[in-house]
Amino acid sequence: MENILTVTHLQKDFGTHKVLRDIDFSVSKGDVVSIIGSSGSGKSTLLRCINLLETPTSGDILFHGASVLSSGIDVPSYRAKVGMVFQSFNLFDNMNVLENCMISPVKILKVPKAEARERAMHYLDRVGMASYINAKPRYLSGGQKQRVAIARALAIQPEILLFDEPTSALDPQMVGEVLQVIGKLAEEGRTMVIVTHEMTFARDVSSRVIFMDDGIICEEGTPQKIFTSPEKEPTKAFLERFWNR
Amino acid sequence: MTTSLPSDFWGRVLFILQRYGTSYLKGAGTTLLISIVSTIIGCIIGFGVGVVQYIPIDKRSPWYKRALLRVAKVIMKVYVEVFRGTPMMVQSMFIYYGASQLLGINMSMWFAAFFIVSINTGAYMAETVRGGILSVDIGQTEGALAVGMSPLRAMNYVLIPQALRNIMPQIGNNLIINIKDTCVLSVIGTVELFFSAKSVAGTYYTYFESMTIAMVLYLTMTIAASKLLRLWEKKMDGPATYDLATTDTLAFTSGLLNISTKRPANERPL
Repeated sequence: MENILTVTHLQKDFGTHKVLRDIDFSVSKGDVVSIIGSSGSGKSTLLRCINLLETPTSGDILFHGASVLSSGIDVPSYRAKVGMVFQSFNLFDNMNVLENCMISPVKILKVPKAEARERAMHYLDRVGMASYINAKPRYLSGGQKQRVAIARALAIQPEILLFDEPTSALDPQMVGEVLQVIGKLAEEGRTMVIVTHEMTFARDVSSRVIFMDDGIICEEGTPQKIFTSPEKEPTKAFLERFWNR
Repeated sequence: MTTSLPSDFWGRVLFILQRYGTSYLKGAGTTLLISIVSTIIGCIIGFGVGVVQYIPIDKRSPWYKRALLRVAKVIMKVYVEVFRGTPMMVQSMFIYYGASQLLGINMSMWFAAFFIVSINTGAYMAETVRGGILSVDIGQTEGALAVGMSPLRAMNYVLIPQALRNIMPQIGNNLIINIKDTCVLSVIGTVELFFSAKSVAGTYYTYFESMTIAMVLYLTMTIAASKLLRLWEKKMDGPATYDLATTDTLAFTSGLLNISTKRPANERPL
């Protein structure tokens, strides 16, 4: 499969605190990679480094084989190829649902307005939010906001989608609706990297699971391998803790 | 028609109004014009300065860009400190007479008035705008960057509109302050409301009566200004309800269902 993203020897320090220590992994077209691990293990930082919301301290990130850390790179247009869904939704509060999904296609990607509208409606329909186009984000529930955020990310038609704990800020009864949407995207073969605490979900939708511990990738493999026969001690301990919760 | 003043207070007020009503109105008009225009220009200056002060100095950008930004920041800092830290009345005379004596420029009264009030408002607004941008959640910036906006576009489409909404009450404050404080321009001969009232008062020695009229006019203007700004804020918030498109949302032919939310428009979710 065609390789989209490669991360090599990635390190990120916040002062003296080493959050990421020598991370290597790659994502091919159609991969659904779940990143699990306890809080503070560096999962979110890794995702934010991929999107360049954090600048890595050292190492490299290659997108289709080209470094995105070299000085000549056009960061905004790189980000437009890498969609991101945040834990706290981050919908634009000054725009309604439709405008949220249209602003980037129209203003950044220069898609004609009518086409951008059609595109936005298509994805809003996919996430079941098409009837809410006139609503401002403040009137939506958490689950609804997150579904709009997913539609917004899809509307820029990215080659890879990053999910940063998409259900962690949601009430339990809203988690399902969001996971269902992400699950459908996985089924249709979208390339995705998902940081999550939803183990059952990770087991069911992923093609590969990465377990992170203390800034390194501790173990990596198919969901079956990680969830049924993990090899490393930290992975075992983490999953033990999780299932016995 | 008699030229002698009536003996009672209200009689004298009426007498003044009949004779000099138009000069009060002209004065009030001048006051309004200067304050509104200068508040707008001041806001533009404030947004410019505030945005520049907000831009972080990026270590990765080339040295000349960083140097330029540093110099701009220092100049703007000095501007803000000087104009915020000295009385507008003193500034008016300093600039008006200084320009003619030092630079040989004879400012027109109008230009001087707009210039002084605008530049003053700008100095106050700069800090307000910076605060307004800082008050917008960092997630908004990250969301904007994540969909491919450059920092400048994120500022333009997402941060500034939200900052503007957040600082609307402060813009209102500034307008009201300007309506009142344009009276200091009388020291450079601007014929605004206070100047008119004082001239009329001097003619008949009717200071109390004349200032009563001025008080009423000032209060009317400031109350009207604050009411109008509240209306504008409401309009910015948009309706407290939204329409649910019920069936075929692509066609837009279907009926719309109006959902009323109980939360008032200006209340933000926690």
